[in-house]
Amino acid sequence: MTRIGFRLALAYRSNIIMTCVTLVAQVFLLRMIWTSVYGSRPTAAGLTLDALLAYLTLANLQAFATHTVVARTIHDRIRTGTVFFDLARPVGYLRQMAAFQVGNTGGGLLLIAPVIPVVLLVGSITEPVNAAGYVITLLLGYVIALQLALLISLVGFWTMETGAISLLYRLVSQFFAGTMVPLAFFPGLLGVVAEILPFKYMGYVPAAIYVGHISDLSGPVLVEIAWIAGLSGLLALTWSRARRRVVIQGG
Amino acid sequence: MDEILRSLRLYFLLQRASARGAMQYRMNTVIGILSGALWQGTGFAFIWVVMHTFPSLAGWGLAEIAFLYGMRLTAHALAMIPLMSVNDIQWVVRNGEFDRFLLRPLNPLVQLMGNRVGIGQFGDLLVGVALLVFAGQNAHIQWNAWLFAFCFVAIVGGALIEAAFFLGLCSLSLRMVDTFALRLFVDDVFSKFGSYPMKIFGGVTEWLLTFVLPVAFVAYLPSSVVLGKLDNPWALAAPLLGVVLVSLAYLIWRRQLDHYQSVGH
Repeated sequence: MTRIGFRLALAYRSNIIMTCVTLVAQVFLLRMIWTSVYGSRPTAAGLTLDALLAYLTLANLQAFATHTVVARTIHDRIRTGTVFFDLARPVGYLRQMAAFQVGNTGGGLLLIAPVIPVVLLVGSITEPVNAAGYVITLLLGYVIALQLALLISLVGFWTMETGAISLLYRLVSQFFAGTMVPLAFFPGLLGVVAEILPFKYMGYVPAAIYVGHISDLSGPVLVEIAWIAGLSGLLALTWSRARRRVVIQGG
Repeated sequence: MDEILRSLRLYFLLQRASARGAMQYRMNTVIGILSGALWQGTGFAFIWVVMHTFPSLAGWGLAEIAFLYGMRLTAHALAMIPLMSVNDIQWVVRNGEFDRFLLRPLNPLVQLMGNRVGIGQFGDLLVGVALLVFAGQNAHIQWNAWLFAFCFVAIVGGALIEAAFFLGLCSLSLRMVDTFALRLFVDDVFSKFGSYPMKIFGGVTEWLLTFVLPVAFVAYLPSSVVLGKLDNPWALAAPLLGVVLVSLAYLIWRRQLDHYQSVGH
């Protein structure tokens, strides 16, 4: 399953080229905007401009890495009835789908690998303050992204239609992950909401640890593990209900 | 002239049929419009959050940026609502469906345009107009009839610029040149870079966005005029560029059409 996902990512090359160009353009745009608003100010919300630019570069790369396609795949397979074949395999359904997504992410990363230096250059990256912490929190954040994507996919077993929910999820998660603005800048209530939601672990938290904006590691890691445990339970529960509702269309 | 009026009437009839078709899936249509609005909404939410901390972006305040953003978005929606179904040209040509358009007694471009109605773009229009109304009241603009008229003409001009690039690229598909990825890129540049004061890019990028891909003419230059930020009298002529470019794009379309060869089904 991992291999299938990997190959699927490689199959749409022109798509990936587009993603790369968009990624570079996005990082360039953000750099110009933030440089302009900072002006001669040395620091804002505890972030220097250099740290902020490094943060934005990383957060945008991460947004690409934590982007999931599994919901769309599952949706297609439910609609066409081919989900039957997945269910007939002697491996747990969720495990298959998770493996598929991991493979897909791997393939995607391999394809954008040549552009990563360009993105880092355009965004002007700095040395990591805490490289190990960055990797740990990002990996855990990826697990959370994967679990949330699976959870959304399972909704399709009830509604048969997840296109709109997926799009909504993508918009909301990207915004609250702090891909374009670090959470430290979110005002008032918006900041409180962003702090509570788990999306920050896909973008803000790892990148902020990288640039040294967050120095305490134990807190975020513990909360991430708690999220993972909670989501695992929720996924198992949802799946045990969803599998009884499976409708095989066609055939 | 009669020919144009007749095309226009038929276009509206076709579009009404498409709209009715789309309304068969009412929920899907509503969700489509809302997603469009939300997509643009989060785009503006970014600016709002940034400007909460920093009151000025290259000398532009929040209301002024909102005006620029709204102008860009409204122009974009006006360009894409009628042209959205031309985006499918690749498939229409490849399936041989385009041959049918050539047989019917109506301009093939009009038929292609009437195929489907751009639903998500109504969401763009909603957000764009809302931003314009909000910004028009809060940006301290000395409104008078002339300025209002200029604003209106500028938005139409901006829409024509975007439509020209879109149509020009689409028409290459008549000769089996796939420009889908390129169109996405151009659209991306228009929407990403067009919504900010060009000054922040500086140097080469500003020049490229003004004279190579004239993104600056869509909203930046006209809104500078409306907001009283630009004295250069040439900026008043910005809306004219759209007319020139769209005529050029239509010529390209006609030329490509002459070379069209059916895939042969």
